[in-house]
Amino acid sequence: MSTHIGSLLSRRKWILAVSGPVLIAAWWAFRPEKLWINQKVSEAAPFASSSDPQPLYTGRLEGKAHPTSGRATVYRSSDGLQYLRLTDFSTSNGPDVHVVLVRGDDKTLTQEIVTGQLDNVELGVLKGNQGEQNYDLPASVDLKKYNAVVIYCERFHAVFGVARLEQF
Amino acid sequence: MIHNVKRVLALAALALTFGLQAAVHAQDTAKTLETGTFHGKVHSTSGRATIYQEQGGKLVLRLTNFKTSNGPDVHVILIAAKDADDDANFLKSSTERVELGKLKGNEGDQNYEVPTGTDLTKFQTVSIYCERFNANFGAAPLEKF
Repeated sequence: MSTHIGSLLSRRKWILAVSGPVLIAAWWAFRPEKLWINQKVSEAAPFASSSDPQPLYTGRLEGKAHPTSGRATVYRSSDGLQYLRLTDFSTSNGPDVHVVLVRGDDKTLTQEIVTGQLDNVELGVLKGNQGEQNYDLPASVDLKKYNAVVIYCERFHAVFGVARLEQF
Repeated sequence: MIHNVKRVLALAALALTFGLQAAVHAQDTAKTLETGTFHGKVHSTSGRATIYQEQGGKLVLRLTNFKTSNGPDVHVILIAAKDADDDANFLKSSTERVELGKLKGNEGDQNYEVPTGTDLTKFQTVSIYCERFNANFGAAPLEKF
C-alpha cells in the first residue's frame, strides 16, 4: 500500500520534472505574451532637416494609355506651402497634357480613356514630358481624398499615367 | 572712391551669396536614396522603409509609421531579392542577406545602420525576419526615391 503511494508520488515528481522544463522551453521559443505586449520606439531622424521641405506622400508613376514612369512626391516647405515634385519623370509628349489630382478610388482610373467627368484638382499644364518639375498645390486640397496623381490629356480624355500616393 | 565702394559692395554681395549657399548645403545633410512600403498580412506589418545617405556617405535605414507583431528573435535584414512573400523561408533557401540588427521595437520610428559597401542594387528588399522560426513578418521592396 505504502509503496503504491510512493510510486504515485515519484511519478508525479517525474511528470513535474519533465513537464516543467518542457513548458519553459515552449515559453522561451514562442514567447506568447509578446502577442499582447508592444514595444514602441520613437527614434529621431538621423539628421536635422527641419528647415528643408518635408516629404508627406510619395508614389511611383505607372503608365496607362502611354508609357509613363518616375516618382511623384508631395512636399511641405518650411513656410507651410505644399507642392508636388516629379522626379526621374518620363511620359510621352502630347497635346493639352495636365497634371491633376484625383481620388484614388475613382472608378474612371481603371480605364485608359475617361468617359464622363473626371473629378479632379487641377495643378497645371505639364511643364515637360521629361525631367524634374514642381507644381504648387492649392492650400485647400484634401490629400487624403485626392490621393492619386494623374498625367491627363484633356483633349482626348486619356490617362497617360497614375501615381497612387502613400504616406511618406 | 565711388568705384572702390561699388567694388566692396559687389564683393560683399558675392560673399553673402556664397555664404548663404554654404549654409543651405550644410542643412542638406542627408540624401534620400530609396523608399518602399511594408506588406505582410499574416503578421500585419505596415509602414515605410527609407534608406538615407548621410553627408559622410554612411547609409541609414529608417522605418516610419512602422508596425508589426511582436515576436521572439526578430531581426531587420536586407535580402538579395526583388520582394518576398509572407512567411517566406528565404534564409533556409540560402537567399543572400545583410544583417542590420535586432528589431528595436515592433512599433514606431527607428533607424538602423547599413554596413558601408552594401550593394543596394543587389539587396533590394527590407525584411522583418523572425530567425527562430525562419518566418518573414513583412517585406518592403525598395525603389529609387
